[in-house]
Amino acid sequence: MFHNSSQRKYWIFSSEDEVEQMRYKANQKFRNKIAESGKPGVSESTFLERHEEDVLFRHYERRLLDFCNAFKPVMPKSVVGTAIMYFRRFYLSNSIMEYHPRIIMLTCAYLSCKVDEFNVSSTQFVGNLLQESPAGQERVLEQILEYELLLIQQLNFHLVVHNPYRPMEGLLIDLKTRYPTLENPESLRKSADDFLTQAAMTDAGLLFPPSQIALTAILNSASRASLSMESYLTECLGLKGDKETLSKMYDSMRRMKTLLKKYELPKAEEVNVYKQKLERIHAEFSTSSNKRKRGYEEDGHVAKEPRITEEEWTDEDLV
Amino acid sequence: MDDQGCPRCKTTKYRNPSLKLMVNVCGHTLCENCVDMLFVRGSGNCVQCDTPLRKSNFRVQLFEDPTVDKEVEIRKKVLKIYNKRDVDFSSLREYNDYLEQLEDIVYNLTNNIDVENTKLRMEQYQRENRDIIQRNKAKLTREQEELEELLLLEQQGNEQRRLDVLQEEQRQLQAKRKNKQALLDELEKSQLPATILLAQHKVRAAQLETQIEQQKQAVKPTNLFSTGIHMRQTVSLQPVPKIEEVLYHYKPLHVEIDGPPVPELEQLGRLGYLNHVRAAMPQDTAGGYTSALACHRAIQDAFGGLFPQKG
Repeated sequence: MFHNSSQRKYWIFSSEDEVEQMRYKANQKFRNKIAESGKPGVSESTFLERHEEDVLFRHYERRLLDFCNAFKPVMPKSVVGTAIMYFRRFYLSNSIMEYHPRIIMLTCAYLSCKVDEFNVSSTQFVGNLLQESPAGQERVLEQILEYELLLIQQLNFHLVVHNPYRPMEGLLIDLKTRYPTLENPESLRKSADDFLTQAAMTDAGLLFPPSQIALTAILNSASRASLSMESYLTECLGLKGDKETLSKMYDSMRRMKTLLKKYELPKAEEVNVYKQKLERIHAEFSTSSNKRKRGYEEDGHVAKEPRITEEEWTDEDLV
Repeated sequence: MDDQGCPRCKTTKYRNPSLKLMVNVCGHTLCENCVDMLFVRGSGNCVQCDTPLRKSNFRVQLFEDPTVDKEVEIRKKVLKIYNKRDVDFSSLREYNDYLEQLEDIVYNLTNNIDVENTKLRMEQYQRENRDIIQRNKAKLTREQEELEELLLLEQQGNEQRRLDVLQEEQRQLQAKRKNKQALLDELEKSQLPATILLAQHKVRAAQLETQIEQQKQAVKPTNLFSTGIHMRQTVSLQPVPKIEEVLYHYKPLHVEIDGPPVPELEQLGRLGYLNHVRAAMPQDTAGGYTSALACHRAIQDAFGGLFPQKG
């Protein structure tokens, strides 16, 4: 359960600043690594800044969501939620300049299917990449399998992710049972669902327990429908006498709503500019790591195909 | 087990499982037939190692590995000389050192390491400790004699008992026969009618039977338990130590979930939660699933972590 899960122990942070710190450190780490390797012609401007990284991150996250929503057979919500959480956690301690998000997001989806016991074979999985030829899909699959272990490692082997969907169901059941003041809790479901999907696109999962996110979703949708649910908190959840806890909870809910409001969709022009920068960085700096991977694959042979062909499939292939 | 053959004629061992392997002092084996053939003159050389051997030195192999047999022989010989016992030493350490010496010698002789020196050592030891060796030999023979005497006594006792039992049986048989004979005689001579005679005979037979039974039941009275304690002796053993400890008190497990209390699984139906959960289909209940399980899980997840952590 959540209270003794690895998510609570290791992946819930106290503030947005802490999270931002971690991302900043990952960025710095990559810069230092390249600086140490002593490549010529490298200036500060070739690297991505934090806000640029953010934009790209959000863009690829959206791509991941679209990929999962277009997935055949239909992917359950928890699988999608887990995949997004993996994606987010991975890029807490790694920079997108080092590992291209295009591959990582597919690897996240693949791993999430496995962990959440949503059974798809690997061929079925890459079959969802509709723009690729079967050979291209094969290549993608190879790449996914290469990065899978790295992903698991960077997640610190904490693979169980608690999503807010089941807590939301639980809260709805509880409302129907114990809170007759609210006549039709089912009417809240749709907007609460939307809230949760939006929350998955923010750092809320890294800052708050999933049940709090679910509660915020329900209270939010209730207030949107101009229904009052204050007495639920005080009566049913037994917080009548506990002013402190109540105020803290309202605080967290406010923070969460701010997070959601702050989210902005990445703008296409910015995305393209940054993407080009990213491609350039990867072309220049990732050659060494990729060559090494090819070398171990083919047992000492020199890679037969030039590395550039690997990048043949682009983002447009994904949707 | 017998996958080793005679090194000389090789085949014969497999074909003839009753054939025995013989071992000599050099540690190499030969089957009986080969021994006879090679040592027809009484002495010869070993097939594998060419040491001069005598036919009389061949012993039937007891162990699968001929080296073990060799070592056993050597050990016997060495122990004839090195026959000190633990009481001859003043401290445990010395006794252990002595034993280690002994093992070294046996090892050396078995593996043909440094045979010359070892033999010299043995002779030296023998010279130095001649009287102790003699004394111990004498003690050993005395002990063996005593043991043999005890064994003999036991055997005799067993024999005696067996004979007694046999005699008893004989006597009983005789008594029965006599009874029958008496009946026949009476039937011949007596004036009483046959039925009365038969009845008397029956009574007598019954009496005889009970007598025999009683004799069988009569246990020879002893006054000794098998552990050697006398029957009437009161043995006071040490009382079992009583250990006083704090009694275990069951405390039900309490898990901190940082949220409102979750109703018990069994209460969910009564509290009305199950009305709002999809009912279990017959296929599901077959496996033991109830809708309460899913409901409980959802409520647990909803309430777990709902309140902000304390501190």
